[in-house]
Amino acid sequence: MNKISSRQLYFFLACVAPVGKLVYLPSLLVSSAKNDLLFPAALQYLVQAGAIFCVLLLAKRGMNFFELLENTFGRIAASILIGIFSLFLFYSALLPLLEQKLFVQSAFYDTLPSLVAFSPFFLFAVYLCAKPLSSMGRVWDIIAPLAIAGYIGIMLLSVGTADFGALRPVGAAGGSGFWKGTMSAMSWFFDAALLLPLLGKFQYKKGMAAKGALAYLLGGAAVIFFLATFYGIFAELSQNQLFAFTKTSKYFAGITVLGRIDYLFIFTLALVMAFYCALPIQAGIDCIVQAAGPKKYLRPALGIVLCALYFALTDLLDYRFTEVVRAISGTVVWIFPVFCLLVPVLCLLLRRRRREIS
Amino acid sequence: MKFRNFIKTVPMKLYILLAIIVLFAFFSNDFGLVDIQKTAIILAAAIDKTENGYSLTAQIAVPKGSDRTTGGTSSVEIEAEGATVSDCVTRIYSKTGWVPKFVFCNLILLGEDAAEEDVMRSLNYFLRNEYMPDSCLLAVSEGKAGEMLSSQSALDDASSLAITKLFSDAAVKSGKVLPTTLREFSIGCFGVSESSHLPFIRSATQKGEQSGAGGSGGGNTGEEEQKIYSAEETAIFSRGKMVALLPREQTFAYSLLLGKVFSGTFTAKDGEEPVTLTVLENKGGVSLKFEPAPVVKLSLNLLVRLCCRGTSAPIDDVVSDHVPDNVLENAESVLSGYISDLFATVKQSGSDLFFLKRTLYRSSLKKYALWKDSFLPSLRADITAEVKTKK
Repeated sequence: MNKISSRQLYFFLACVAPVGKLVYLPSLLVSSAKNDLLFPAALQYLVQAGAIFCVLLLAKRGMNFFELLENTFGRIAASILIGIFSLFLFYSALLPLLEQKLFVQSAFYDTLPSLVAFSPFFLFAVYLCAKPLSSMGRVWDIIAPLAIAGYIGIMLLSVGTADFGALRPVGAAGGSGFWKGTMSAMSWFFDAALLLPLLGKFQYKKGMAAKGALAYLLGGAAVIFFLATFYGIFAELSQNQLFAFTKTSKYFAGITVLGRIDYLFIFTLALVMAFYCALPIQAGIDCIVQAAGPKKYLRPALGIVLCALYFALTDLLDYRFTEVVRAISGTVVWIFPVFCLLVPVLCLLLRRRRREIS
Repeated sequence: MKFRNFIKTVPMKLYILLAIIVLFAFFSNDFGLVDIQKTAIILAAAIDKTENGYSLTAQIAVPKGSDRTTGGTSSVEIEAEGATVSDCVTRIYSKTGWVPKFVFCNLILLGEDAAEEDVMRSLNYFLRNEYMPDSCLLAVSEGKAGEMLSSQSALDDASSLAITKLFSDAAVKSGKVLPTTLREFSIGCFGVSESSHLPFIRSATQKGEQSGAGGSGGGNTGEEEQKIYSAEETAIFSRGKMVALLPREQTFAYSLLLGKVFSGTFTAKDGEEPVTLTVLENKGGVSLKFEPAPVVKLSLNLLVRLCCRGTSAPIDDVVSDHVPDNVLENAESVLSGYISDLFATVKQSGSDLFFLKRTLYRSSLKKYALWKDSFLPSLRADITAEVKTKK
């Protein structure tokens, strides 16, 4: 069985996980936290880094997520719990898929029918779902440098336009703005939950929990710098800029002469995002496979069914994106802290030693 | 060693494959599916206020046939009226059968009537339109914007192309024009200062023989008046409404205060004779102080050289670009006068062109809460203009 190396895991946390926060989240943060948008994001990163620290500590026990649950609750209860957890992962995949679809449609293929523009993603996702989750380690090795190149390229073209003074005065949005921003951002921070199905697929090494949390914070620093640049460029208009990372670089002076060279970096990040968007589906399927045991056609079959479902959902919800965001990051946002913060912390209370199976 | 192992684990073939995918995606953006026969590529739009709403004039690029091989851009202007700008766009679609595409729109002209009411109403459609580039230039037109856009340029194929040329980098550095994009204007208007500025376009009939300028709308034979455009004046806005017009001297003074000028010229006097000076270095500054009454410090620090005298001069003087002290003193007095007039115009108009409210807001929320409604009317200016020449 392929193992994910610690390096690959750090790559995921530092380079791949941040890309999902560059599309719709910046404008959403501005809508509630205004120029204080950095603070809710920073808080989310700190809390999530803590949860990641807890998940990585669980890796010391050398068991996968299902085994951890089974060790404490028994097979039937563990199957039910992991089933509920996989449902959460499938649920958390919806928002990134919808934003990805709208972004691809709006930024790249505005003259193509939306159904055609994004449908190849689902074929790609089915392929990824058919592969074992541990194979993602190699993928992260490849896409992490692409994410870095894409990010640096976009930032180099963007920073010069930004007026960072727009971020002042600190605290203008007040406590309520900060709180609203923190709550609305929660649906984009489920990286700790994504790590739980990876347990047992990598070996714990000394200091891994701290290094993993630091790698995640490093990615967080990159996201926060992007948010600052984004607000520096658009200020009061930021709320209206739905697909943030496609917008910031177009004011670079050389673009009038060279054309939209920034698209090269935008496409690079979009490619990384495609892997990131498929990950919750893959992780959810892996949870089911952990409970059901290795069955030959289970992964591809689940992949086909789920991707068909997402295909239908993204098409149905095409014009209801704001309602979906309002529901997921508003009404039922509590689901995210429960699964992404509470579950990792509570997992530390699970039985440490392997139970003797009679 | 670890790094070497890492490099070995990364399959180069996959890298190459990914690179090919990215490059393919890059170079096939939209897969070229912009059907020129069904799409109206709008180069510029003009918005005017009408009794029942708005009138939108769209300047649409037309593919040139093989019989006209002069190169350049042909265009046709289509006008439509409606209750909102969106209505006008829909009517253009129904009139022409072409889908109006704003992706390449590089200029929005606002008529004087539209500028005098809340312009954000006119611009609402463009701010909402995801496919409208917010780097598009905005300007106010003298009279009706539609007429300005439909006029025949003496210098270019399309009026919009001639107008956007007024906003070149070189023109900005001259300090004579202050171009503003949709993004910059909107940030100014939506910010705490609620103020912004736009260039004001005037047109003048080109005197002399009127031969075709390259065939805008097809083979002009001199029956239509040809125009040349200027943008040396600047319209200033408060709460979305045009409240005053800065003449060319004040536009230049504002450019100097922003520190944008390089190689721009202005004229001082040597006794009674005019002397034109070139700006080599421009440091401008606007700062707000409370001592305890509010004072805005408008400061200029210029390095200049002599560009041209209005009188004949001996050859020793021609080879030198040194500026005599009396001319420097006069230059300081001229510029102080420009800035003083600029401050008076801005204060009288109620606009916050210097973004002082924003400065105050960014510096202290407490002070902002205390002063925001009262400090602009009681504001005093402390003007300093220092002009030096090369030693």
